[in-house]
Amino acid sequence: MTEFLLELLKKEVKKRGYISEEAVKKISKKTNIPVSGIYGVATFYSFLPTKQQGKNVIHVCTSPTCAIHNSLDLIKFLEKELKIKLGQTAKNKLFSLYETSCIGCCDEAPAMLLNGKPYIKLTKEKIKKILRKCKS
Amino acid sequence: MQILRKTNLKALEKAKKLGAKKVIDILKKKNLTGRGGAAFPTGKKWEFTLNAKSDTKYVICNANEGEPGTFKDRFIIKNNPETLIEGILIAAYVIKAKQAFIYLRGEYDNLRNLLQKTINKVVKKSGVDIKIISGAGAYVCGEETAIIQSIEGQRGHPQYKPPYPAVDGLFGKPTIINNIETLTNVPQAILFNDWDPNLRLMSLSGNIANPGIYELPVGYKLTDLIKKAKPKNKVKAIYFGCFGGCMPYSKIELTPDSICGKNCIIGSYTIIVVDEKQSILDTALSIAHFYCHESCGKCTPCREGTIRVCHLLEKIKSGKATKQDLEILEDLAMNIHETSLCGLGQTSTNHLLTALEFFRKEFEEKLR
Ligand code: SF4
Ligand code: FES
Repeated sequence: MTEFLLELLKKEVKKRGYISEEAVKKISKKTNIPVSGIYGVATFYSFLPTKQQGKNVIHVCTSPTCAIHNSLDLIKFLEKELKIKLGQTAKNKLFSLYETSCIGCCDEAPAMLLNGKPYIKLTKEKIKKILRKCKS
Repeated sequence: MQILRKTNLKALEKAKKLGAKKVIDILKKKNLTGRGGAAFPTGKKWEFTLNAKSDTKYVICNANEGEPGTFKDRFIIKNNPETLIEGILIAAYVIKAKQAFIYLRGEYDNLRNLLQKTINKVVKKSGVDIKIISGAGAYVCGEETAIIQSIEGQRGHPQYKPPYPAVDGLFGKPTIINNIETLTNVPQAILFNDWDPNLRLMSLSGNIANPGIYELPVGYKLTDLIKKAKPKNKVKAIYFGCFGGCMPYSKIELTPDSICGKNCIIGSYTIIVVDEKQSILDTALSIAHFYCHESCGKCTPCREGTIRVCHLLEKIKSGKATKQDLEILEDLAMNIHETSLCGLGQTSTNHLLTALEFFRKEFEEKLR
């Protein structure tokens, strides 16, 4: 079985947090897929960033159940705490903040992913604690 | 719960004794249908692939459950992964596939280890390789032709059908694609005489005290289900995921023979309860936003339309919209519904069309 491009790209994100130009060139050589083709695939998917990310990547769910449970307020709170806007990465590269579609934790809304791991039943207090842990 | 019953590889054993044709007969007779939303008879689907001529065939387990409000696949992976894997092995046995894939949504990366461990434990010397491919955050890849594109290393764009994956699927080979709930039911249907084809997993969430997975028969009364879930306040509307549309709670009793009434689609039994304190306009915005984000961009009505829907809803919310804007919105919603290429676009405005039918006032109040 040949190597699967999606798997290669996911591995790269897991290792380095994003898919760098260098990585694209390397994967291109390995798979014989042109660089443009690899960018074409990477940019299609929400979880395959091609720019450097923060050490901690947060994805807050904004789909209806979480929205009903005030996830939009939590995003505003996170923006204030992290001093970045949604979609941005902090200058010190400690955090990136994004929204995401439903992450399948609707029974425990509101929810977010932090470095791929779900955090549920969020409140501002809970988020503060989580952020503190990330910084230490 | 029926879905949690373990089959301990006894169903696979039985399947091998019976042979492919008889397994398909059982699935047909027992009336197992796809649980991803389309409810196509599973036995029939497998038969197409069995009869397709090719020396290579594949099985794909669709674990890209992404409909907002749905979490039943997560529930199965966590609580009965062995039976799921056995279902995949039976599918592979029936069509003589050597390679199977589980396309696991990126949002469920944290379940990958558990799945891999279960594969290592269950598969052993079956001669079938089950490979997990991690998705990367694309709802559209739940569509079967898009899954195939994605595994093949392309952008996850849905394709025109026919050809159907059953005969021309992954790498051009005949392919069975079933979702997690369906494949978990396979061994159970084969092994247990008292297996009930009418039970469904229903994902309940929203303004309720008891959110979670409920296993209930098709045709179970929605009002009773909502009562079980213990609404926190007076219920205003029920949303059947993002794609199924909404209906007012007060109208539910009027449609006794169908759980969701003629305006809505029940799909994979996703139920989001919205109470009086919520604004339908805000919910509409959240859903419109979801589609805007998840549209794959292949066809114009969906790619451009979902963005315009978002803008128009925002305009209405800001109080700057006119009656004409609302008319344009409704017209656009209808157009997207009728002209989009795949199910995502076609159903992306169901929530809006039903909201405009039942809760129009909430939109009109905001007009200038
Ligand atoms: S309807 Fe939307 S998701 Fe489907 S092919 Fe068109 S753009 Fe892509
Ligand atoms: S709606 Fe947020 S996790 Fe499902």
